[in-house]
Amino acid sequence: MFVYAVILSSQGIHADSQFQASNSKISLVTESLTLTENDELLVGIKFELEEGWHTYWENPGDAGEGASVNWSLSNGFEASEILWPGPHRIPVEPLMTFGYNDEVILLTKISSLKNASFPLNIKANVGWYTCKDICIPQEGEVSLVINKGDILLTEESEEIDEYLSTVPVDFEQLYRIERLDDKFFLQTDIGEGDHYQDVYFFPKAYGLTAYSDDQNYEKNLNSFILEINASKAQLKFDAFEGVIEASNNEETSYFNISYPLEVEKVENNQSIILLLLFAFIGGLILNIMPCVFPILSIKILRFMDHSENSSTKTYKFGLYYSFGVILSFLVIALVLLLLKSSGESIGWGFQLQYPIVISVLFYLFIALGFMFMSNLVFGGQLGQLSSVARVNNESLESFLTGILAVVVASPCTAPFMGSAIGFALLQPGINSIFIFLSLGIGFALPYFILSVKPSLLAFLPKPGAWMETFKQFMAFPMWGSALWLLWVLSGQVDSDTVVVVLIGGLFISLALWLLEKNTSEIKWVKWLVRLVALAFVIFSVLIIPTSYSEKDTQSQEELVYSEVLLEQYRNSQDIIFLNFTADWCITCKVNERVALKTRAVKDIIKQKNIKYLEADWTRKDGDIAQKLEEFGRTGVPLYLLYPSRGEPIILPEILTEDTLVRYLTEIN
Amino acid sequence: MKKNLFIHLLPILFFAEVCYSYVEIDTKAPDFTLSNSFGEEISLSEFSGKKIIIEWTNHGCPFVAKHYKTGNMQSTQKFSEEINAVWLSIISSAPGTQGYVTPLEANELTLTRSASPSHVLLDSDGTVGKMYEAKTTPHMYIIDEEGILKYQGAIDDAGGRGFMFKDLLKAKNYIKNGLLELNKGDEITSPITKPYGCSVKYAS
Repeated sequence: MFVYAVILSSQGIHADSQFQASNSKISLVTESLTLTENDELLVGIKFELEEGWHTYWENPGDAGEGASVNWSLSNGFEASEILWPGPHRIPVEPLMTFGYNDEVILLTKISSLKNASFPLNIKANVGWYTCKDICIPQEGEVSLVINKGDILLTEESEEIDEYLSTVPVDFEQLYRIERLDDKFFLQTDIGEGDHYQDVYFFPKAYGLTAYSDDQNYEKNLNSFILEINASKAQLKFDAFEGVIEASNNEETSYFNISYPLEVEKVENNQSIILLLLFAFIGGLILNIMPCVFPILSIKILRFMDHSENSSTKTYKFGLYYSFGVILSFLVIALVLLLLKSSGESIGWGFQLQYPIVISVLFYLFIALGFMFMSNLVFGGQLGQLSSVARVNNESLESFLTGILAVVVASPCTAPFMGSAIGFALLQPGINSIFIFLSLGIGFALPYFILSVKPSLLAFLPKPGAWMETFKQFMAFPMWGSALWLLWVLSGQVDSDTVVVVLIGGLFISLALWLLEKNTSEIKWVKWLVRLVALAFVIFSVLIIPTSYSEKDTQSQEELVYSEVLLEQYRNSQDIIFLNFTADWCITCKVNERVALKTRAVKDIIKQKNIKYLEADWTRKDGDIAQKLEEFGRTGVPLYLLYPSRGEPIILPEILTEDTLVRYLTEIN
Repeated sequence: MKKNLFIHLLPILFFAEVCYSYVEIDTKAPDFTLSNSFGEEISLSEFSGKKIIIEWTNHGCPFVAKHYKTGNMQSTQKFSEEINAVWLSIISSAPGTQGYVTPLEANELTLTRSASPSHVLLDSDGTVGKMYEAKTTPHMYIIDEEGILKYQGAIDDAGGRGFMFKDLLKAKNYIKNGLLELNKGDEITSPITKPYGCSVKYAS
């Protein structure tokens, strides 16, 4: 904004209040040609454009630029920022711009201070664009002289007033902005006020909402909701700011909207410390897996022999070994991150919010448990590599042993690695590196300790059958994790879908069992069994739910409304919450997401044993229509809260978690 | 190098037919092939291993005209040349609209304006413009050596009201700054800015 108050050096300037440009004319208009000290005067730059041309609003939309005005005023006067009249949509397919067709007055308030020196010379240097299919930049200067005296309205003042009435004012009604997924919802309680026929939102800044997408306006009895697609640019904003255009018959009003947006919650680091601890313990446990422990025992003894014959200290071998192990784990972490980022770049999301991610992890843990419990081994040939690490340089050999311990052991560490990968995938990149680092340190530590203090070797248990028993025991933590995942899933999908995923788990287990028992010597039989197992796995993957269940709460406290059921609960003096909703009702869906189906509300419904009835008006059922009519409604949403005795309370159309909890807490 | 290979191979292996509907920062910039002003077919993918700057342009647009008149666009092109980056100027104006040029006229423009783009690409049916959601002229994009989109938006911070009064050489040049940041191995500070200028003159 440019506000200049300069003394004009020359008094003899020809005041010219008009300027003719190639396809537009600007003029400086004022509501009065006289003004006194300590007063305000409305002036404006009037743009008269040739037919079909337009100029822009303060936010021009996809292209163009709003006008700018540099004011030069006599001493003792100040100019306000431009008061922009409400804009219009000017689509330029496939883009959208915001501005004014044919004519507009950009208003400015000029205040005179105590020491104002009259006459007031107003000079405005204006830069603007006029556009049709092409844009032309224009620049011009207009000026006026205002003398001292009481305000005396000019003919132009009427026109100025007309534009002043379209300058947005603060929106008086209660409203809120909810962001759900990639949409914004503007919900407004207009009380007993008049309804608007249409409402449109103009954002103040780039990157908030999608300019060229249509907005969805829905009227309710005493509220309205506007659905606005968020911008793909996804810039961060502290507030949802802009202007709404509300039209009613021939009248259009403009209101300023400004609503704070929630800043994304910072991930808490509590869980990561716990995960790191688990990873470390997991690394320790890896040492006593049946295919790791024997190798390590042999290697340790070998290095002991070597160190007796040479001056090299055994702890050095331990150090090199540890390097090898940790490096290998870091490589695994990096590969994983790479896979993850390429996955994300093609639209895979690794978050527990997605039923598909949870289901896949559930299968993974079922399979991992099975692998611990059975003798099923993938990649058993890797074990034969253990002799590779025999080279003459002992330090190098230690380092290679470290790497090989990770590679060679992979057949029986796979289940462990699998679970680490599963959890690491859900973490931000840097955390997964730390998880694998922790796992590596855990893996390397016992060997390192032994290399520092070889006498401890005497306390080491001998490899034996106990190791197999231990391995089998490890299946239970895996299945425990699977159970936890299923619990998370049950919050997102209905019970039928949970059962579907369980069936998937059954087929995964069956496939693994087939693979384990598949010892046939005949080649085609062997491959046939493998094919069947593969088919089972594919089947399990295909039945994974890909989205949240529509009937999310059917399995929970929600019951389908019928007059009979309502009567029955009324007679038994239950508290009843009756929700009239429909799939096409945007307000209903937003209320459900932000209030009705929140944890706090569900808890209190359960705790007070409130009967939650849902009357689904998606197909405009006659009985429901009749019930709505009883309460003077012709449409949804309608929320009724019946106390155990007496008349129901009608809840507001716009629900928040807080208000709903308050109603539900107070009702008896 | 290994990382490079992986990122390229993975989508091919698993999702052979990935359909990009729009461009997103930090994802692979969609490939395209267009004729340049010398009639050669030019693909984005052939510049893999180099940084690429894409400029949507229309010589008749007053915003673009100011950037060329003041030498701001040329100096940005020189800058990118010095760091061995590829500069693609794309014209998406439909025939009969402002900014539409024949290959010959395009070359003449480059000459008379002392511009130094690596190629001037002609996109008169707007396919590539719409693929990249180019909205204004100028509208700028930076793609890194691995083909990942790193920046999209304005050429500098001179946009906004009063553009015509501003000194472009004093403005903060997002392209120069962005390239410097990438060269240092940093991420670009503001990877998305509001593009400003005339609307791209797509065929309607």
